[in-house]
Amino acid sequence: MTEPATAPDQRLEPTREFTGSQIALVDLLDRLLGAGVVLAGDVTISLAGVDLVQVRLHALITSVRADMIEGN
Amino acid sequence: MAETGRYLYAIGRGLTPDDLADVAGLQGGRLEVVERHGLTAIVSTVNLDEFGEEGLRRNLEDLAWLEQVARTHDTVVHQASARTATAPLRLATVCLGDDQVRARLDEWREALERTLDRISGRMEWSVKTFAAEAAASVAGPSDPPTGAGAGAAYLKRRKEATTQREDASEAAARLADEIHMLLCGFAVAGRRLPPQDRRLTGHEGTMTLNGAYLVETTSAEKFRTAAKALGEEHPEVRFDVQGPWPPYSFATLDDA
Repeated sequence: MTEPATAPDQRLEPTREFTGSQIALVDLLDRLLGAGVVLAGDVTISLAGVDLVQVRLHALITSVRADMIEGN
Repeated sequence: MAETGRYLYAIGRGLTPDDLADVAGLQGGRLEVVERHGLTAIVSTVNLDEFGEEGLRRNLEDLAWLEQVARTHDTVVHQASARTATAPLRLATVCLGDDQVRARLDEWREALERTLDRISGRMEWSVKTFAAEAAASVAGPSDPPTGAGAGAAYLKRRKEATTQREDASEAAARLADEIHMLLCGFAVAGRRLPPQDRRLTGHEGTMTLNGAYLVETTSAEKFRTAAKALGEEHPEVRFDVQGPWPPYSFATLDDA
């Protein structure tokens, strides 16, 4: 008897039965980049004028694509 | 010697370094507390080669970097949230020094107090719904119709399939609206986040609801039961309920 071979899913957070309070990365980024207290002003040196959501999506999609290409 | 800055994780009231003793900050840094008027910001020292404006532009494109920073940030926020009402800061908020952190706490004091009052004793829950993809039973382009009659039949079939898909997708959207409204009845506040990209999540079907709900800690069980009941009532939709999380989606400062 051999187990049927199943291709491992390389995408982000495929497991959703996890019931603890660990947040899936994509959910976390939804919140950490899209919400949260924003202390805007001169002392915040991060990312003036950069659309973080765009950055995030670009980063993630590029990376997921790279994984898929490697997987093939 | 590289320049350093102070990375801000979250703001609460009366947090002490002891509350965070078990957790390491970014780059292995020690977590510290900067206090002003009873408001406490959790900070650690970071290298600006990595966390300066130029470094962030580069690093935010790097998923492994982003994940590691987001996870560390979240771990710190979780730890602080377990002690007291805590408003998480956006990822990658970096000040040049503690004086700037204090100035910010001064400037935003009232809005911060209101935010902390709003989230005190409450946690965030996430409810997502997924509708099955409407079956696209249209003859493919590899199946070209022959003759005028076949062409008209093909177009008719295609139009009907399109109409069915539109009806199904409208119905799914209406159901998601309804589910969101009902869940809001068990929450202090609710927000709909944009549906997530399937390429990121790998989910099947169409994400029709990406809802965030601010729920009294004492009502958590009621909320969860309500979500479960909705799931049983609507077997045509897949529910994904997660929580409790720190109130990320509800910690935005209101405009003072």
